[in-house]
Amino acid sequence: MRLLRAFGAAVSVVLALLALSVLGGCATQTGAGRDAAALPRTERERDDLIKAAQQVLVERCLAGRGLSSKGAVGERRAEGMDDAADRRLQGALFGRGRTELSVTLATGYTVKAHTDGCLAAAQRELYGDERRWFRAEVVVNNLRAETGLRLKDDPDYLAAHGRWVHCVTPDHGPRPERPDPAVAARCDRESGLGEVRARLEPALLDRVRAERRDQLTTYRQLRTRALHRAADLYAERTVPENREKGSSPS
Amino acid sequence: MIIKRFAVSAAAAVLALSGGLALASPAGAASCPSGEFCVWENANFAGQRANWSGDDGWWESWIADTDSSWANHGISGPGIKDHVRVYENSGQGGDMTICLSPGQEVGYNGVANDRGDSHTWAMNC
Repeated sequence: MRLLRAFGAAVSVVLALLALSVLGGCATQTGAGRDAAALPRTERERDDLIKAAQQVLVERCLAGRGLSSKGAVGERRAEGMDDAADRRLQGALFGRGRTELSVTLATGYTVKAHTDGCLAAAQRELYGDERRWFRAEVVVNNLRAETGLRLKDDPDYLAAHGRWVHCVTPDHGPRPERPDPAVAARCDRESGLGEVRARLEPALLDRVRAERRDQLTTYRQLRTRALHRAADLYAERTVPENREKGSSPS
Repeated sequence: MIIKRFAVSAAAAVLALSGGLALASPAGAASCPSGEFCVWENANFAGQRANWSGDDGWWESWIADTDSSWANHGISGPGIKDHVRVYENSGQGGDMTICLSPGQEVGYNGVANDRGDSHTWAMNC
């Protein structure tokens, strides 16, 4: 329910934003010589635009298979969606069988994904090169996790972590596997672990980002490609309708 | 064994409110309900599975620090938090061990195995 409301509201925002851009004379000429919608200004709006376009492409693909993802969330999920129906949706949306895409991160994780689902098809349409996008996205999404791993080599961090472990461990008992969140937060403060992490993380993250700059560059390039493709898709959907409305005597 | 069965049963009762618990088969693609984030106690999406459509700052004891494979089957859309960040401590504390976009999965990782304690859905990583 929360998700469906958010989706509806965000789509309205994106459509309104793009329609205003086009009608307000903000359209630009693309290399193909046709009008293109101006791009949203904030990263959040750009993110919404790409996600909205991806959602449209995914639903179009699923509809071709007689399915829709809209029943997978919200009220119908709460009421208990049929398991067999959801398995069909999972296969159509995320893919089936063996995964075709795979990236092993510096943290040791091997992240995988399928190329035969509607989500992968939508990303191919938006980002162009799905393998390059997958690799760049996985690496960039986990720069912070990679930074966290490197923190563990720092002697200040190790000392603070030792104090944290001592803090969460009861006087008469073993270290708890899953300390109470309130205790963990208190020990973060008392051990100085939170302060050490906050002090060390920015510089370490900068170093990791510098080492992964090739993937960051690819990420930005392909995301820009997806942004323009998404804007074009929405312009195709909204401009004829808006121009028609604009020419109406009423 | 008895203790573990009790823990699993208790977890099932709690998760019924905000998440799920199921036995998964290891064959083929990860079986994870659409719109949810899933964690398995064994590698390659086998054994007991926990699944959530929302955040959980304190995983139940049967899956906390026993997580071995992960899959994000979130449904994307504008304004929707569809990325999942996994943390090594409760309350989304400590270091983030992995961040997954929708459609991404990890069958096993020797370094991160049995480390997760909490997760949150986010707009990005």
